[in-house]
Amino acid sequence: MSSRHEFHFPGLVFRNLVNRPYRTIVFVFSFALIAATLFSSQYLMSGARESLDEGVSRLGADILVVPEDYAAAGQSVMMTGEPNTFFFEDSGYRKISGLPGVARASPQIYIATLFASCCAAPVQMVAIDPETDFTVSVWLKENPGVTLGKNDIIIGSGVIQDTGRDLQFYGHTFHVVGQLARTGMGVDNSVFVRFEDAYVMAGESRQKAASALVIPRDRVSVVLVKTDPGRSAVSVADEIRRAVPGTRTIVREGLLDAVSGQLEALTRLLYGSTVAIAVVSVPLLGVISAMVTHERRREISLLRAIGAKKSFVARIVLAETLSLAVTGSLAGIGSAAVILAGFQDFIRISLEIPFTTPSAAAMIADGGIALLLPVAIGGISTLYPLLLVTRSEPYETIRRGEP
Amino acid sequence: MIEVLGVTKSFRGPGREVRAVDDASLHVGKGEFVLILGRSGSGKSTLLGLIAGLVRPTSGSVRIKGNDIGLLSDNSLAELRAREIGFVFQFSGLLPTLPALENVLVPTLLCRGGPGTRSRAREILARVGLTEREDAYPATLSSGEMKRVAIARALINGPSLLIADEPTGDLDVDTEYEIMDLFRQLNLEGMTIVMVTHNPDLACFATRLYVMDRGKLGLEPGPFPAKDREPGNAAAGAPDDE
Repeated sequence: MSSRHEFHFPGLVFRNLVNRPYRTIVFVFSFALIAATLFSSQYLMSGARESLDEGVSRLGADILVVPEDYAAAGQSVMMTGEPNTFFFEDSGYRKISGLPGVARASPQIYIATLFASCCAAPVQMVAIDPETDFTVSVWLKENPGVTLGKNDIIIGSGVIQDTGRDLQFYGHTFHVVGQLARTGMGVDNSVFVRFEDAYVMAGESRQKAASALVIPRDRVSVVLVKTDPGRSAVSVADEIRRAVPGTRTIVREGLLDAVSGQLEALTRLLYGSTVAIAVVSVPLLGVISAMVTHERRREISLLRAIGAKKSFVARIVLAETLSLAVTGSLAGIGSAAVILAGFQDFIRISLEIPFTTPSAAAMIADGGIALLLPVAIGGISTLYPLLLVTRSEPYETIRRGEP
Repeated sequence: MIEVLGVTKSFRGPGREVRAVDDASLHVGKGEFVLILGRSGSGKSTLLGLIAGLVRPTSGSVRIKGNDIGLLSDNSLAELRAREIGFVFQFSGLLPTLPALENVLVPTLLCRGGPGTRSRAREILARVGLTEREDAYPATLSSGEMKRVAIARALINGPSLLIADEPTGDLDVDTEYEIMDLFRQLNLEGMTIVMVTHNPDLACFATRLYVMDRGKLGLEPGPFPAKDREPGNAAAGAPDDE
């Protein structure tokens, strides 16, 4: 549609941006850097939180009971799947089952595997008791027709093998019957077998494997506990520690705290970088804006001389800066999203945190926040140049420019 | 059309006050071509700034079409300039990021409801002889071409008053006379023109001539014959005063 005037304000702004490429590039790059840093911080936090929520929800347990000396190892198995083998007295499990407030308890045995053909690194084998399990069994209920029978194995999303194929651990062959959905937590790098098969595998390992595996029959690695509805996990955990000396308990909130603690250093670094960049950017962009405005002072004065109100000049300066802020921020957010998505596994492994791609809603919110800051910085950085422009005497400026 | 009554403009100089314009009075009737002649530093450009409302007087008053511009707000003054006054500066004052046609259209952004359209801009560019150069950026235009684009820009909103500050100062003689011919034609079509120059040879174009010296303004009695060169189509005689 064409209007009477046929030349519009956006056209003027667009021409000013396109035909001042150096300023445009510097501004877009600066805004992109700020937005990318901020978006990365937000993205990592959202990814870790969502991963943890999903992982903890899949675990289904309110309390994790581990040997006192292996609390950190147990936590690390849960969160990152770092392989570990540790045990405590099986009698402890029987005590836990009978404690008040404990609705269900299920023991698990953690076995660090050797290298297998499926994986670039050893994976965590988790032996479960099918009679009491409420972790894998929940998944099995969601996938009717799948059962965890003799020599069957269920694999995490990070373990590369097709359902229906075989996998060998310690020389024992397992048949893959299912693969869990991705959570971003340790479960992704874990495989699940029955207690009995783990004992058989350990027995055969002396002949079949490069190194022998020993799993004592009267010991377990962890006990997962589901509390009675309405009971506080913390009070039940206290009860368990009193009843079974030599154990540590990790509650759901404790896992969240642990991850938050791990993330704290990272987020401090990222938010710190964002603040540092913002603090440097405001005066830097302000100076660049002021320089550009100074360079354009005669042009701006001329606009005022031919009838532009101060508000019109302010609109031009603001519209140009905000266009650059939005363009740069979107470019920064887009680039950061592509890089973060591409290096997701690398991030998870190198930062040792549970991590999954944040939901679309979380990404939109993260992107929104990452967009707002540069726009605000852009607005603030134009204040001084705007002040210069509105306070100048247009005719004096024009005449000073005369040869 | 324009009444300047006892206007003084003082600036604070180093250790003393400088009167750039000293008690100047001026009357410009509708359809007149008034030339203000003076050497550099005589205060003629400051007087032009006062007439256009770009400079606030220290004392005295300036009226345009009956409006005392000293009483107008910044915004009202800007609206008056956008609607009623076309401004041509000594330097072209074109926006370097816009091609010629869009430079001409810039004032249309400042005067909603004015007559400026793209087709009118093309017509005006054709009138100043720049049909083929409408897409050219200022950096690729000659001084004369830039000046003609600036004149086209001054005319786009159909102002009743054209103010020109040394519009031919940096041009060669041929181009200078082409521009002056154009001004003369516009004047003959009814446009009121106030122009300052340091070149006495241009006095022949004026219907009324003022001379400015050290801030003082004086009316020069006519006629004002050309000294070196008479423009080809320069018509003699001035329209009657309002």
